[in-house]
Amino acid sequence: MITTHGLSKTYRDRTVVEDLDLRVPEGCVYGFLGPNGSGKSTTMKMLLSLVRPTSGEIHVMGRPMRRSTRRALLGDIGSLIESPPAYAHLTGRENMRLVQRLLDLGEDQVSRAVRTVRLQDHLDRPVRAYSLGMKQRLGIAMALARQPRLLILDEPTNGLDPAGIDEIRRLLTRLAEDGTTVMVSSHLLGEIDRTATVLGILGNGRMLFQGTREQLFARSTPDVLIDTPEPERAAALTARWNATRDGAAVRLPGLDHRVTARVVSHLVHEHVDVHGVRRDAQSLEDVFMDLTGGRGL
Amino acid sequence: MGSVRAEFLKLKRSLSWAVVVLLPLMAVVTGAANTVISGEPLEGDWHTLWMRVVVLYGLFPLAVGVAALASLVWRVEHQGGNWNALMGRRVSTPHVVVGKVAVLAALTAAMQAVLVVGVVVVGKVVFALPGVLPPRYLLVSVVIVLACVPVAALQSGLSMLMRSFAAPVAVALLGASTGVLLLVARFEVLTVLVPYGLVSRATQLGTGTFMDGGSVTAGAVAVFGVLALGLAVVVTAGSVAVLDRRDIR
Repeated sequence: MITTHGLSKTYRDRTVVEDLDLRVPEGCVYGFLGPNGSGKSTTMKMLLSLVRPTSGEIHVMGRPMRRSTRRALLGDIGSLIESPPAYAHLTGRENMRLVQRLLDLGEDQVSRAVRTVRLQDHLDRPVRAYSLGMKQRLGIAMALARQPRLLILDEPTNGLDPAGIDEIRRLLTRLAEDGTTVMVSSHLLGEIDRTATVLGILGNGRMLFQGTREQLFARSTPDVLIDTPEPERAAALTARWNATRDGAAVRLPGLDHRVTARVVSHLVHEHVDVHGVRRDAQSLEDVFMDLTGGRGL
Repeated sequence: MGSVRAEFLKLKRSLSWAVVVLLPLMAVVTGAANTVISGEPLEGDWHTLWMRVVVLYGLFPLAVGVAALASLVWRVEHQGGNWNALMGRRVSTPHVVVGKVAVLAALTAAMQAVLVVGVVVVGKVVFALPGVLPPRYLLVSVVIVLACVPVAALQSGLSMLMRSFAAPVAVALLGASTGVLLLVARFEVLTVLVPYGLVSRATQLGTGTFMDGGSVTAGAVAVFGVLALGLAVVVTAGSVAVLDRRDIR
């Protein structure tokens, strides 16, 4: 659905996005993750032709995204970038009517979009009286009104409470099931973890990882835990592998199978009883911490 | 056309209407108050009243008012994610720019209508002038609205680029001052080529002040119309070109 090749954006001497090769498959929920300031919004803006790339190519739905083609392509894309769009002095209904006039939509399309985000009971209130969650939902309804094939949402769960986040998460899953490709960014892993089928992780404007959740785990090396009745001594003996005591065990980070065998052999050679060797269950957050060099998400 | 209709919807409950009503009324009240306080009679009846209200109004307040309207009309786009949403939709850049200029032209026309009604009311109620406002002032009003379109286009472009409300208004004040200087220095051609000068010059049409001959001829109306249209097209095209090349940040 989206492919980019060597996509970069530089503002004067500051490179915000560097050599990005994005692959967003059709019909998926693509979780675009990265710390604040990692270049997610700039990338999304380039995909929508709101920002001109310094170099590189963008193809959306098989066609190059350029200023000359943007209008035709944007007809099939719904978006919500940075903060929810809405005219605060107008009601929700008037805001939707505005989109209807701009995009020449039918009443049924507007009603469907409003129902999808469950905002039909609040349409006659001025948007300035909306909660942030309602503004986000209205923004998504505006993006959905044209029934786009591709939905690009930049931090749609920003500022929402857990119930609101869950509602957006379920909405995105539903949309993907109905055939809409959804690209959604977040700096909070937990918000996307269970929704996205494909993940792209950005750090300092560079793609650190792109693939499925399973592929992501396959790239990481969980800590090794060695159970022993002498954890203090065992930790001292394996200090060169950065071992630390962890309760009744010794924790060793980043060991592959070969080095793990050497560590165990070393302990046995030093007459330390080894009762068990296991891999620690690693959270996705830990994996991301590794990828982003400890900056996390 | 959809973008123009959408722009008009945004005017609902907008502060713009306060400017549309209050600014011309202030001009009318000021003109009437000056006449009452000075004790000078309205020798030429409607003509003198029109001159006292409109000439001063055209030197500064009108351009500043149009600038304030442009700032208000664009302010909503600079809030939240509206800019991103507007430009991220299947709407062409010319439609976005022309939609705003069309709205500003309509608001300027409404402002002029308030001014005319104000002059008529003050003329009848306060000064008990005979008859009605001569129709030629309605024609002059149309010329004034046309002459405001290039200023509306220019101020729209500035407000599109600047998030600040006051900065574009300050530019309008500076522009209007330049227009007045050109008028005083009697640079006739230059005056009408500067959008702010064109507005001042249009408000003097038929008054005989500054460089005006005192009559409203078809030729003069046509010249104002062509100049206004030409300047508006150039300025609007410039705004479109700038927006086309600009990143939405």
